[in-house]
Amino acid sequence: MKTILHGQNVTRIFQVGEDKNRVLDRVTVEIYEGDFTIIMGPSGAGKSTLLYALSGMESINDGTVLYRGHEINRYNEAQKARLRAQEFGFVFQQTHLVSNLTLFENIAVAGYVSKTGNSREIQERTRQLMRQMDVERAGGQLPSQVSGGEAQRAAIARAVIGKPGLLFADEPTGALNKSNSIVVLDLLTGLAADGQSIVMVTHDLRAAVRGTRLLYLEDGKILDEMRLSPYEKAEEKDRESRINAWLSHLRW
Amino acid sequence: MEFKVLLKAGMKRHKGSLSGIFFLVFLVSVSLLTVVSLWSNAGSYIHAEMERVGFGDLTVWISAPKEPDALNRQIKDVDAVARVESQPLFYADYTANGVESDSEGQLILYREATDNYRFFKNELNGYEEGRAAIEPGAVYVSPSLISMMEVEIGDEISFATARNGGQITLKTAGYYEDPFMGSSMIGMKGFLISEADYQAIHAQTMEAGIDALAREGAMLHIFAEKDSGLTAAELNVRLNQETNIPLYTEFNHSAAAISGFMLILQQVFGGMLAAFALVLLFVTFVVLAHSISGVIEEDYVNLGILQTVGVSAGQLARIQQAQYVIVILAGMAIGVIASMPLNQLIAGMTVTTTGVLIPTGLPVGLSLLMFTGMLVLLVGFIHTKLNKIRRVTPMKVIRGEAHKLRWKPRRPCSLKADGLSGMLAVRQLITGLHHYIGVCIVAALLVFITSLVGRIDVWLGPDGSGMMAAFNPADLDIGIQALGEQSIEDMTAVVRSYTGITDEYRLAMPNVTVNDIDYGANVITEPQRFHILQGQTSLNENEIVVTETVAANFGVKPGDTLMVGSDLGTEEFVISGIYQCANDMGDNIGMSREGYLRIGKDNRQMWCYHYFLADPGQRGPITEALNTIYAGDVHVHENSWPGLLGIISAMQALTVLMYAMVTVFILIVTMMTGNKLMSYEQKDMAIYQSLGFSSGQLRTAFSIRFGMAAAVGAVIGCLMAALMTDPLVSAIMRLAGISDFTSHPSFSRLIFPAVLVSLLFGGFAFLAGRKIKKCDLSLLISD
Repeated sequence: MKTILHGQNVTRIFQVGEDKNRVLDRVTVEIYEGDFTIIMGPSGAGKSTLLYALSGMESINDGTVLYRGHEINRYNEAQKARLRAQEFGFVFQQTHLVSNLTLFENIAVAGYVSKTGNSREIQERTRQLMRQMDVERAGGQLPSQVSGGEAQRAAIARAVIGKPGLLFADEPTGALNKSNSIVVLDLLTGLAADGQSIVMVTHDLRAAVRGTRLLYLEDGKILDEMRLSPYEKAEEKDRESRINAWLSHLRW
Repeated sequence: MEFKVLLKAGMKRHKGSLSGIFFLVFLVSVSLLTVVSLWSNAGSYIHAEMERVGFGDLTVWISAPKEPDALNRQIKDVDAVARVESQPLFYADYTANGVESDSEGQLILYREATDNYRFFKNELNGYEEGRAAIEPGAVYVSPSLISMMEVEIGDEISFATARNGGQITLKTAGYYEDPFMGSSMIGMKGFLISEADYQAIHAQTMEAGIDALAREGAMLHIFAEKDSGLTAAELNVRLNQETNIPLYTEFNHSAAAISGFMLILQQVFGGMLAAFALVLLFVTFVVLAHSISGVIEEDYVNLGILQTVGVSAGQLARIQQAQYVIVILAGMAIGVIASMPLNQLIAGMTVTTTGVLIPTGLPVGLSLLMFTGMLVLLVGFIHTKLNKIRRVTPMKVIRGEAHKLRWKPRRPCSLKADGLSGMLAVRQLITGLHHYIGVCIVAALLVFITSLVGRIDVWLGPDGSGMMAAFNPADLDIGIQALGEQSIEDMTAVVRSYTGITDEYRLAMPNVTVNDIDYGANVITEPQRFHILQGQTSLNENEIVVTETVAANFGVKPGDTLMVGSDLGTEEFVISGIYQCANDMGDNIGMSREGYLRIGKDNRQMWCYHYFLADPGQRGPITEALNTIYAGDVHVHENSWPGLLGIISAMQALTVLMYAMVTVFILIVTMMTGNKLMSYEQKDMAIYQSLGFSSGQLRTAFSIRFGMAAAVGAVIGCLMAALMTDPLVSAIMRLAGISDFTSHPSFSRLIFPAVLVSLLFGGFAFLAGRKIKKCDLSLLISD
């Protein structure tokens, strides 16, 4: 399998006054192209910190992060901006859409910044993605005027419009109800099935079953990992059981 | 207790915004105090000094009467006159540092025992103790000669006493304070000399006989009876009717007119500074309004939470009010302290222009009144604005109604890839309009006031030509008056040897009486050259033109008649029009040569030949050549006067000061508004960064937003200046007798303040946007 992202001895320490909290402790991890990687672990384990450290959003105190062989933790601000525009996509727990742009514009602006087409092409792709995410009718609405599910679906469309090499998702269903969560997970699963590399943080078993590779993080260290076949709806119960067993083994 | 805790916490949390308010109030306080001190101190000081030195109610400058005692007796016998004091003097043209005087100097005999003049220390920062005795060969001058002719201590001043080079040269020994004619706005200047030199001039003129150039005379200070109830003009009429004084009068001025002359600079510049300070005060209100709404929005959640634990909305409003009142009082207090050395600095800087050392003490009563008024206004305004707090309820906080966006999109997408940063800036501007309205209003006001000053600067011109046009009854390049036996034709030949003469006319300025009151007259050979503001010029011999000042004095208008008199008698003249000439603060009339000859004698020497030159650049060399060849037998003047330099310098200093203050204001306003916006928009900034926008792009867009908001305001400010400058400034200029102020700035001058203010807003916003680089993307992280 081809490694797309490689974190080596990634260390992140948060300091508040005299107190130092080592949130990531020399974590070494490889993310493979085409994988739907899930990072699990208890609260405060450092899951989101690892996700953002790997994406270059969070600075690290030690170690290296290589994306397609490039040491991105040494990138300057402009290089990191370019990386986020053209290679990475992000979906957050809160939708984090720009409040004064319509859903359509929120998606299109990300496309413009990625420079993956001219205005017309980006707008056409926006329309297509909005259809795919089922938010076409809300295109002219502001984020404050739509439901949480619609906003999150638009956020996913925004994350993928630049055709990113890697999509990072941080608890994307954390703020959604059950039905909206399923829709969002189906969308992500569909993207993964189409070959999109995804790294997703979750502590929700229903989300974890969608992955092809699971990493378990605790106290800033990856304790174990598990590989699964691509998701099939019919196997959901079986996948849940396997993951439960694995987590029990890890005493979670 | 909770009040103190919340107050301290609030002040700590909003220290940036409160510091901005503090600085604004400080600057406004300093400006207003400076204006109030300048006006109050200068006005009361000039009046007090005129009284102490003994100007009287009316001073008449006379040529030496044959029987001075008899004239004095006649004047004293007028029942409205209490007493008359006489100061002997000689009138003489003078030259200092190669500059020839425009008006005759007055060599005043200094009588140590009776004269009350105050002598400056050499550094001009105070007065000498006791009375100076003037040594023979020494002369004391007004410090305004420093700005007018660069006269320093030790410089020689030559006074022309007789033709063929007869002169007396005196060395400047120091400066004295002349409350009658010390200001650079007054052309006539007094020179205090010793008894020995006075006698020497007397001897020289006696010896020269008909060739004498210096003329003996006196200042007659006439004090009216306290209960006479006569105005200075009425006293003038009584004196002209009941004594022989008209036979000897050179000119006269009332105490009110002289104090007006002495205070022109202080009034005009004080007026402009006051207007500027009031604009700054208004700007402070705008910023305050913005700051209060910002603080409420920022504290929205906390305000709701505090209400849930039992703190009332009224208490919360009082806490906020206390924060602002504390910084406002601090700004005022520091403003008071800072204004003291500033007043001293201004007094020191202006003494060479105003001729007097303006006292620097703060007028306590007036200052207290001003601060009380300002505080009441500010506190009332804050109280009204803080009423918004009462609308914050815990339920609104719970429902998250703090930052509700009121804007509604018209189309799903109006953004394109090209020029995306600019389009996003516009969107942010439109959707956050209320945040930028303050910037817009502040920009409009600052552009208005700077445009106004800029337009005055344009009117004045780099060489003061605008001012000269207001003072001269008609245009000219150079004026030549032949004195004595010399021929004007020979002098004209000298002019032609330098450059061609394209046009010419003659002008004389004799004294006349108008309805028995002394006035100056501009008698011209070509009346069509007068600067006519209303009606027609005085083409016929029974017509005159008057200034707006004279029209107001007599309550007349074109078509009315006035009685004008001179040495041949008095005749009735019809006012054909209103013209502009600010000489003697507008106390003058204009008439044709033919009209004047109905009442006065023609005299070859009274005419000044005004020429227009093919090459006006030759004025300097021509003046120098004529003065070298004809010395005291010629009087040459260009379209300028020495005091103009002082005014232009003062105007330039005022402009620099205003732009400096404007820059500081914009910096404060931008930093305050910018920091607030940064905190509102930090999440959006983080989102944009997560999408791949660089901090540089976001910072540029942030700066463009400010620049655009300021540009809109700047356009409004330019329009306001275009519509309001001329009427507003005309109203102020009328105080100085200038009734026609029209400014025609070039396009570049017109837009300069607007461009500068917009760029300053944009530039400072770029500086304020440095925080975008530090924008924390972890804001988006939920772990």
